[in-house]
Amino acid sequence: MMSKAAPKFYDVDMPIRSFVTKRLIGVRSENSVQEAAEKMVEFKTGSLIVIEDDEVVGFLTDGDIKKKVVAEGLKPDMPVKEIMVEDLITADISTDIKEVLELMAEKNIQHVLIEEDDDIVGIVTFRDLIDIERQKLETYISRE
Amino acid sequence: MNILHISDTHIGNKSQFNEDSLKIALKEIGDKDIDILIHSGDITRDGNLKNYKKAREIFDKVEVPLIVIPGNHDKRSGGLSIFKDYFDSPDGVFESEEEIVIYVDSAVPDTDIGRVGMVKFDMIKEALAENSDKSVKIVVLHHHVVPVPKAGRERNVLSNAGDLLELFLKGDVDLVLSGHRHYPNVHRIENTVFVNAGTISDKKTRYGDINSYNLIQIKKDRLKVKTKRVDGSKKVKHFPRKDKRIFYHFGDKIFRIVHISNTFISSSTRFLHTHFFNALKNINSLDADLTIHCGGIVEEGINQNFELAKKYMEKFTTPIIYTPAGRDINYLGYELFSKYFGEMIQSYRDEKILFQGVSSAQYDSLEGYIGERQREKLFERLGDRKQSFKSVFLHHNILPIPHAREKGLLEDSGDFLREVVDQKIELVLTGTSSHPSAVKIGDTVVVNANSLSSVYQRSRYGNSFNVIDIYEKVIVVYEINSLWGTRKILGVWERNGFKKN
Repeated sequence: MMSKAAPKFYDVDMPIRSFVTKRLIGVRSENSVQEAAEKMVEFKTGSLIVIEDDEVVGFLTDGDIKKKVVAEGLKPDMPVKEIMVEDLITADISTDIKEVLELMAEKNIQHVLIEEDDDIVGIVTFRDLIDIERQKLETYISRE
Repeated sequence: MNILHISDTHIGNKSQFNEDSLKIALKEIGDKDIDILIHSGDITRDGNLKNYKKAREIFDKVEVPLIVIPGNHDKRSGGLSIFKDYFDSPDGVFESEEEIVIYVDSAVPDTDIGRVGMVKFDMIKEALAENSDKSVKIVVLHHHVVPVPKAGRERNVLSNAGDLLELFLKGDVDLVLSGHRHYPNVHRIENTVFVNAGTISDKKTRYGDINSYNLIQIKKDRLKVKTKRVDGSKKVKHFPRKDKRIFYHFGDKIFRIVHISNTFISSSTRFLHTHFFNALKNINSLDADLTIHCGGIVEEGINQNFELAKKYMEKFTTPIIYTPAGRDINYLGYELFSKYFGEMIQSYRDEKILFQGVSSAQYDSLEGYIGERQREKLFERLGDRKQSFKSVFLHHNILPIPHAREKGLLEDSGDFLREVVDQKIELVLTGTSSHPSAVKIGDTVVVNANSLSSVYQRSRYGNSFNVIDIYEKVIVVYEINSLWGTRKILGVWERNGFKKN
């Protein structure tokens, strides 16, 4: 029996541009880890951009807080600067979705910062790409 | 890049065609350093051979590249075939090293309506994907995507304007050029500037205006639109190319609103019971200051639905204000609405904040309009109010919504939109078309809510509602899934008067 093709919401050879979240929540590098965690809770986000003198200097995920602070028994009053990731993994906004997914797999990460003309202009998360498929599941569950 | 943008030349016989006005505009090419001439359609009056011959004669003298698309007048009397003979392809892509101009024929033969069909839609999408790395992206269409003021009822916005708007914003298009309404207008939505040209040489102008054209300059960081009338008077608007993207200084939180729409409460299976009650539980835990229901409370305005709706809506623990949709006031709803939910026009205000409802619903009809008198009164009243944060809420859309065609669009959306933007009303909440959307137009954030609990919804993320947090310096809009409670940020914007972090 021939199966019907699923609706195609995106092609993997399209540039990532249309899937980028163009608004980013940031935290200052001198802020405490606790303040960063509070921001993550308030905005329900798993990652923050770290800012110093209006420049992006790092990136912080909830995983970093778990791994580098809580699991190590450290106090969350230390500055974000001490645990942020300074080597930013970025992709140009015109990169294909496929290449971004490959980058995530290769580096074992779920967030990629997106650049345009050397500025950070957005973020793409693995979940953003997964979310697009969610409606199919929801339609199934919501039959009442 | 310097563009001379003209539209609606309507070249024909002298009784209607002002050739001298067109000459004034074309003279800019010699006087200024113009790189390209873009004509956004309606070259001719009647699309006949005589008109096209005359047009060709005029544009043959132009010494810069010319991009021209047909308008509805050019396709009259089978005019498209003559267009192709005299002006090349009606759709295409003009590329240079740094720039791309995608031009698309949006006219439907022998009607005035506008449409960009699937094939052309995909052509734009592909051209934007292939040219993602170009630093300037321009789209040209005869019909407008964003409602235009002072042009009568909003009948000729492109029928799939919502999908196009989404495509342009996601693709970071810098500039969209249109004509058709014979009235110049400029709006900036997110980072995309939408420019409508007036007519350059038709004697049929609107509101006693005279012929006009646009000079547009695009630099690395700024975009400038100069609208020039043929008497030499001009209006200039400057826009930054890119908005602020990273937010880390919010100030204190002032107010939290839950924004819901199209609950469609009824005893039918089209009302999603579990979605409604999961959302209700979630909303009650959000510690909001106010809930605004943008209409579509009940599936139809009948007694048993209103009784049920009253019972369910009473379970919300935050104060709720409402504005009706057409379906709330059909059948007996016109009387039942006031009996169960109060006045048709509701508002909330304290010293700092004002939320003003507007009635756009019509009895026994899904169409929406506000009307000149109600609009005038509303904006007069809003102008008098002293609150530092002002918001308006209504059922119908004032901007096109993705996947929704133009049905839910307010008939007088062009005028309404112009007024809210010019008055810098900070927030407009709407609730038709059942698809979430949040964009900033000028200094105004316009948010639409998806259906909270009806099977009739259009988002692939499922039914949802919005939460809007107003901080001292920014506005944050979230969409929350009704069933799962999962949340995503629809947008973050700086508030008026707080431009610096």
